[in-house]
Amino acid sequence: MSHDKQTSDARQFAEESSSLVRITAAPLTWAGHFVLCYGAAAVWCVKWPGPIGQMAPLRIALGLATVLALAIIAWLGWRSWQQWDLLDDYDYEHEMGVGEDRHEFLGHAAFLLSIVSFVGVIFTSLPLVFAATCR
Amino acid sequence: MTSDADRGTYPPTEEMLAQPVPAEVAKAQADRLRKVWAQPPGWTYWSAVNNTEVGVWYCLTATFFMLLAGILALLMRVQLAVPENDFLDASRYNQFFTMHGSAMMFLFAVPIFEAISILILPSLLGARDMPFPRLSAYGFWCFVIGGIFVMGSLLFDAAPDAGWFMYPPLATEYGGIGADIWLLGLSFIEVASIAAAVELIVGVLKCRPPGMRVNIMPLYAWYVLVVGGMIVFAFPPLIAGDFLFEMQRSFDWPFFDPERGGDPMLWQHLFWIFGHPEVYIIFLPSIAVTAMIVPTAARRPIVGYSWIVLSAVGTGFLSFGLWVHHMFATGLPAISLGFFSAASEAVVLPTGIQIFAFVATLMVGRVRMIHPMLWIAGALAIFVAGGLTGVMVAIVPFDWQVHDTYFIVAHLHYTIFGGMLFPVIGGIYYFYPIIAKKQLSERLGKWAFWLMFTGFNVTFLPMHLTGMQGMPRRVFTYPGDLGWNWLNMISTVGAFVMAAGILVFVYDLLRPKGKQPDPPRNPWDAGTLEWTHNVPGEAWGIRSIPYVDTRYPLWQQSKMQERIDAGRYYLPDAEEGKRETLVTSVIDAHPLHVQRVTGPAWITIWAAIFTGGAFIFPTFHWYPPAIVSAVLAVACIIYWNWTSTAVIPEKDSKDAGLGLRLPLYVSGPDAVGWWAVWITMLADATAFSSLVFAVFFYWTASAQFPPDGAQFANGGLVAAGTGLVAGSWALTAWARRDAGRGAMAALAAAMLAACAGGAVLFLALWTTDMDPTEHVYPAMMWALVIWVIVHLIAGVVLQGYCLAGLAFGKITRRHDAPLWNSLLFWHFLCLTVLVTGAMIAIAPRLMT
Repeated sequence: MSHDKQTSDARQFAEESSSLVRITAAPLTWAGHFVLCYGAAAVWCVKWPGPIGQMAPLRIALGLATVLALAIIAWLGWRSWQQWDLLDDYDYEHEMGVGEDRHEFLGHAAFLLSIVSFVGVIFTSLPLVFAATCR
Repeated sequence: MTSDADRGTYPPTEEMLAQPVPAEVAKAQADRLRKVWAQPPGWTYWSAVNNTEVGVWYCLTATFFMLLAGILALLMRVQLAVPENDFLDASRYNQFFTMHGSAMMFLFAVPIFEAISILILPSLLGARDMPFPRLSAYGFWCFVIGGIFVMGSLLFDAAPDAGWFMYPPLATEYGGIGADIWLLGLSFIEVASIAAAVELIVGVLKCRPPGMRVNIMPLYAWYVLVVGGMIVFAFPPLIAGDFLFEMQRSFDWPFFDPERGGDPMLWQHLFWIFGHPEVYIIFLPSIAVTAMIVPTAARRPIVGYSWIVLSAVGTGFLSFGLWVHHMFATGLPAISLGFFSAASEAVVLPTGIQIFAFVATLMVGRVRMIHPMLWIAGALAIFVAGGLTGVMVAIVPFDWQVHDTYFIVAHLHYTIFGGMLFPVIGGIYYFYPIIAKKQLSERLGKWAFWLMFTGFNVTFLPMHLTGMQGMPRRVFTYPGDLGWNWLNMISTVGAFVMAAGILVFVYDLLRPKGKQPDPPRNPWDAGTLEWTHNVPGEAWGIRSIPYVDTRYPLWQQSKMQERIDAGRYYLPDAEEGKRETLVTSVIDAHPLHVQRVTGPAWITIWAAIFTGGAFIFPTFHWYPPAIVSAVLAVACIIYWNWTSTAVIPEKDSKDAGLGLRLPLYVSGPDAVGWWAVWITMLADATAFSSLVFAVFFYWTASAQFPPDGAQFANGGLVAAGTGLVAGSWALTAWARRDAGRGAMAALAAAMLAACAGGAVLFLALWTTDMDPTEHVYPAMMWALVIWVIVHLIAGVVLQGYCLAGLAFGKITRRHDAPLWNSLLFWHFLCLTVLVTGAMIAIAPRLMT
């Protein structure tokens, strides 16, 4: 039994051994938030705009959704930061074919994707700040 | 199933790897491998399905279409060289710009990615071949037939002429068959693209060499994975759109006709949900080539591997949030435009990060200016310029100013030449020794590069200005007093300089190189596995499949090459006379089983010909031959599956080398076929979701959907129909568990239930007076039901296949892969039918 295998067992890496899906969680949250904003605005602006296209309730609702999305991504980012565990060994290359490097690599990639997704959600929500009406 | 314990030792120890292979054993093994993987001789060569053959044909065919599309561009430039020119008339000019765009996108940019990947991915992964060689061959022949059909229409003055995006109402109202050729011909090719994407995804996930965990796989493989995923989600909306569009053109169902409740904007949405990710689908693979060349040139591992993975995955996601930036001028609410403008700016982040990672690698490495690097440097310069104008046009007010002008033509060519063409050519120079076992000329390469680089900038840089001065796109001529004359003349001259560069490159590519000595095996001193190839070439892919635990095995694992060549690693032999490759686990590349892959066959060509008939005959409204072709295509595919997939092996497991014993037959999630079905069904579900999206789109976009006094589907019959289909699904699930005599009865009952369910769903609309030509609401309901019925036919065929398999001993309790795969199809089908039931019986009642 190799050293590699023992590390895998000890760290219970098994839970991630059949799924790449986790690193996509943060971008998926971005996508969900994006679709919600676009869909809600499209429906609102066709079905219930006021006489000059006001959308205060929409802005409030989507503002809350934005806070929720950012919280989810921040939480995912925190978890992946822990999985990366940079401060433990300062490894940011993960270039060896061992279980630990793979584990930290997935954490690292997920962490970076959380940052991009976080920024993406902020970008998406900026029109809600600057636009007051549908027009 | 063998358990982990009795499979033997894994990973291999250093002592095992150090043990020499006796020379006579190695020679006998190599002879057997050579025999098994030999190319078919003489004219039967064309029945080959190896990735090395099909990949080369695919590349050359795509290049041929690129040259044709390039000639169209030159002819257009001649027409535009001077004002009021009459070299081409308006109609021919329209055909040329439509076909230039369509061919460059559908017949060159996407297929060349698939072609190059099919060609080199197995060697990057140390695999013998792709997991489904016959599927690659089928995809290639579909591509050839579809491409010749679409391009051939130019010779008959019947080519599509409504722009590469086929906007209605222009394209729906237009009389000739051009639009039908575009819709059906390109749908056919899109199907082939999805087939290739499925194969490439499964290849990356399941065919890596043992030990190559996801954190050390070549970056090219990461990009292939992301791009494959993007194809799976981006192409289906266009296929759904094509389906609606063709129903309107052939049967007058008014999906895009505003007078009967339709909306041309739906097409724009579906087209660009495909069209914008498409830009990244062609860009990312070229960046992937860059990610292979840069470390070799810098002579060090890539800097920021995780950052590049972030770039690839992040771009893949964000690129789906950009499509409306092609529709800024269509009058959508400003807030909607704002969301897409924001996302278009956000995508710059991941796109930029990978370029910084390349620059960083070059900065800290000891750069040697190998020739491919020249193309990469040119590509980065051009792409950055194109990216910056992209940031400009992502801003709505600026876009309104330059929308549909030559500024956009300049922008898109800068992104595509820099982001796609230059890296691809650099990649061909780089990988040519692997592909052809010869080298391209560096002298000619420099000529080609400088001619193309200069010609490109001379052509397209002035177009920014031409556009700012107001020259619209897609006009066949212009008056002489608007100040555009000299700019157009410069662009035309540049186009010919660039064409000269392309000719030099193509000459270098195709000139006979028989007298050239064999190139060194690893001429660039690269570190990745593809450079373990044999010179002169061998058809076996790789002599033995190595154990890999570094990112650059040739740099970091000493003796790798010598042990591969000696047959020290896995599957060094073909003692049973079968073509085999190794299948490993998704994350850690733990060896799972030995996959027998298929050999040369004609059946794939026949399947492609008949599939072609099924798509091409409807262009001319010849429906009976189309139906016959479709039936024959299905028959060919069934024959191909029956005779060559999930074949019960002569023994349960085999010695895979290095003391590892692996099963020869697996089913369910362990099997590559199951993964292929899963990915295909994701694509299918995406297309179906696009139809569901269409229903909601009509509801939001029109004042009344359904219209006043509309009829509804018969609720009782919809409930009965969905119930029958759900019953059929349950019986199929039970049959999968039983896989014995009882399963045969269950499958027979399931087939009856599915047929009855389909018929009842049909009656649920038929018994009402819902006429699909009257209004878009009944048309949409019928479209959903037709979609379901076609899928139910496929579902019944699969059930019948399994029933026959059980009856004739192809499927047993131990060998039940077809049952697993069919059930997976049925999971999706059952869900599709339930959603359809809700969409036709419940949603319209709530929407009024």
